[in-house]
Amino acid sequence: MRNRVIATGAATLVMALGLSACGGDGDGGGGDDAKGGKTIKVVAADYGTSAADASKPFWDKVAKDFEAANKGYKVEVQVINWTDIDKTVKTMIASGNVPDILQTGGYADKVADDLLYKVDDVMSPKTSANLSKGFAEAGKVKGTAYGMPWVASTRTFFYNKKAFATAGITKVPTTWAEVADAAKKLKEKKAAEIPYALPLGPEETQGETLMWEMGNGGGYKDDAGKYTINSPQNVETFKWLQDNLVKPGLTYPNPASTDRKTAFADFAAGKVGMMNGHPSVIKMAEEGKVEFGMAKIPGKTAPLESTLGVGDWTMAFQDGKAGKDAVKKFLDFTYTKDNLVKFASMYNFMPVTTDASEAMQADPKNAKLKDFFAALPTAKFYPVNDTSWDVVSAEIKKTGGKAASDDPKTVLDDLQKKAEEAAKAVK
Amino acid sequence: MSLKAPPSPAETGGGRGGRAPRPVSRRSGLARLGPLPWIAPVILLILFVVVWPVVELVRTSFLNISISGKNRGSAGTDKYKKLFEETDLGAVLIWTVIWTVVVVALTMLISLALAQLFNQKFPGRTITRWALIAPWAASVLMTAIGFKWMLNQTAGVLNTLMMDLGFIDGPQDWLGKSSTAWPWMMAVAIFVSLPFTTYTLLAGLQTIPGEVYEASRIDGAGTWQTYRHITLPMLRPAFLIGVVINLINVFNSFPIIWAMTQGGPGYDTSTSMVFMYKLKETDIGESAAMSVVNFALVVVLVLIFLKVSRWNEED
Repeated sequence: MRNRVIATGAATLVMALGLSACGGDGDGGGGDDAKGGKTIKVVAADYGTSAADASKPFWDKVAKDFEAANKGYKVEVQVINWTDIDKTVKTMIASGNVPDILQTGGYADKVADDLLYKVDDVMSPKTSANLSKGFAEAGKVKGTAYGMPWVASTRTFFYNKKAFATAGITKVPTTWAEVADAAKKLKEKKAAEIPYALPLGPEETQGETLMWEMGNGGGYKDDAGKYTINSPQNVETFKWLQDNLVKPGLTYPNPASTDRKTAFADFAAGKVGMMNGHPSVIKMAEEGKVEFGMAKIPGKTAPLESTLGVGDWTMAFQDGKAGKDAVKKFLDFTYTKDNLVKFASMYNFMPVTTDASEAMQADPKNAKLKDFFAALPTAKFYPVNDTSWDVVSAEIKKTGGKAASDDPKTVLDDLQKKAEEAAKAVK
Repeated sequence: MSLKAPPSPAETGGGRGGRAPRPVSRRSGLARLGPLPWIAPVILLILFVVVWPVVELVRTSFLNISISGKNRGSAGTDKYKKLFEETDLGAVLIWTVIWTVVVVALTMLISLALAQLFNQKFPGRTITRWALIAPWAASVLMTAIGFKWMLNQTAGVLNTLMMDLGFIDGPQDWLGKSSTAWPWMMAVAIFVSLPFTTYTLLAGLQTIPGEVYEASRIDGAGTWQTYRHITLPMLRPAFLIGVVINLINVFNSFPIIWAMTQGGPGYDTSTSMVFMYKLKETDIGESAAMSVVNFALVVVLVLIFLKVSRWNEED
């Protein structure tokens, strides 16, 4: 009796294990069959700040239209928010379950691992010729194009008109000294709770940092392509920020733990006197009924002639399950004027193809974006086509902000060391 | 605890007449496994959810995994070298020790007092005992996020309260810098550790027989004397369990720090757990190496404690 019970128990267990193993096999088999197939998996970032402007409906619509226009093809769309997309994609790559098409912030790290198709393989010449020149260049690693630009934004200087009037500031600052002077007045007259918003928290440390460093002739790399994070100009920039904005209490008390979204929200609430921002601030400030002005970003002695431009990227994975032709079909279908204008308009971004860009500028609705469009051709970018940049950028996000509170030289030296190691690792 | 297989019935009743030898040997083979078929699912589960991740963790710490998530092959001990060369590692480890010691020590002290209080008979005792469970029942992450907002510089009620009471002149950015963020995070960690610890000690107090107290009273012992020479020594097993479990919990504590400061600015408010998590953003192999070190640290920590407290002395 007892033996039978034991035998039954063991048999049940073996069966259960066997069954689950079968389940696993089934999944794997199905996936292999689809190789070279007609199901395209698209993973994209969510640019929306609320349900009303989420990116998912846009991609769903593109997918539906594509399926209707191309019988037999299927598109699976997964839209992931910005906080999680890097982690999720990393997991997808680590588990060998890559998407066919990915739209996110950077592409070069994936080139280093030889994961991506060349642009020429997955985009017809007609479509790729339409990509804006500067961006098409930035999509190349060592001369070969892997990244397809998706949208872009440029940065500009925002100020609160009402606060400026209360503080009696008549001239919009063009130099650092004038920024410090205006900030002092804003504080004395209690015109703005935060005279200058300096968000150096992890969200986008690398952006605010670069905008200030460029004002002093600094930056992340020299012309030869070597990292110069701890250059004397950069160290001097942070010394100036500490002495003129942080220590006198003319910005957030702890810039290194203040994120960009806080600064933007505070500006839209009328608490900030001035800051650097991108086009989404326009909509936020209008909703908050804040009267604002825009100007070129002040530099040490003169305003920046070329501002910071930020682009996001689309890429296609070699190991995706769909065939190369299917991917090509879908990308050509997606990169049309209408689609790109529609997406860029949703978030006040700038499209990165020639015809979409022209169409958007011609629309009087976008008159307030004029300055941003004008700045685009000369804008300077992060070194996005350096395969070590993604590591360097992540390191700057983690500790870069401390250069505004601790000894700038020490902080930047440490980052420089990490950047050099990262550059060595991908060589 | 040792798992001794009960004498197998197949062994005693083996070779019953008239049976072919083969089925008998198979049967006795199964039976020889004793309770194994019954505990096998649990063992498999443990292998799957405990042992396998640890093996994977150690393996990963010797791998070179790129930031895009691709395995580039063996890294040897490079990731450990890189980890020990991190400029911030020293400070992180020191703060991990301070964090663990302060939180556990204060938790134990306050819990001793609370347990004593809840052991008294007073009206409403049941309700207050229930109320003590609240911080335990609420998700730690929720509690931490709650405190984060209460401490918010512009919108936080704690800032408003402290200003109204005249403790501070203007609203403070409590969580923005390490010198004020640490004490607040420690306070939250103690707050969420109190219920478990207090209940453990309360259970311990209730096992002390009343006769012992009666005897000491007859011998003329004072309150303090009774507490020091009777309550505390007899509470020792419960107290030690409380300390060991809290040590592990607090050392591994992640949600409080992550929700309140994300370990920042920089690594200023990171314990080694949070440091490990942040390393993951740039280098998974190095992060795994930190995990291995963490794992070793917590084992060493507990062993040292057990040794110092002479865990087995009373057994």
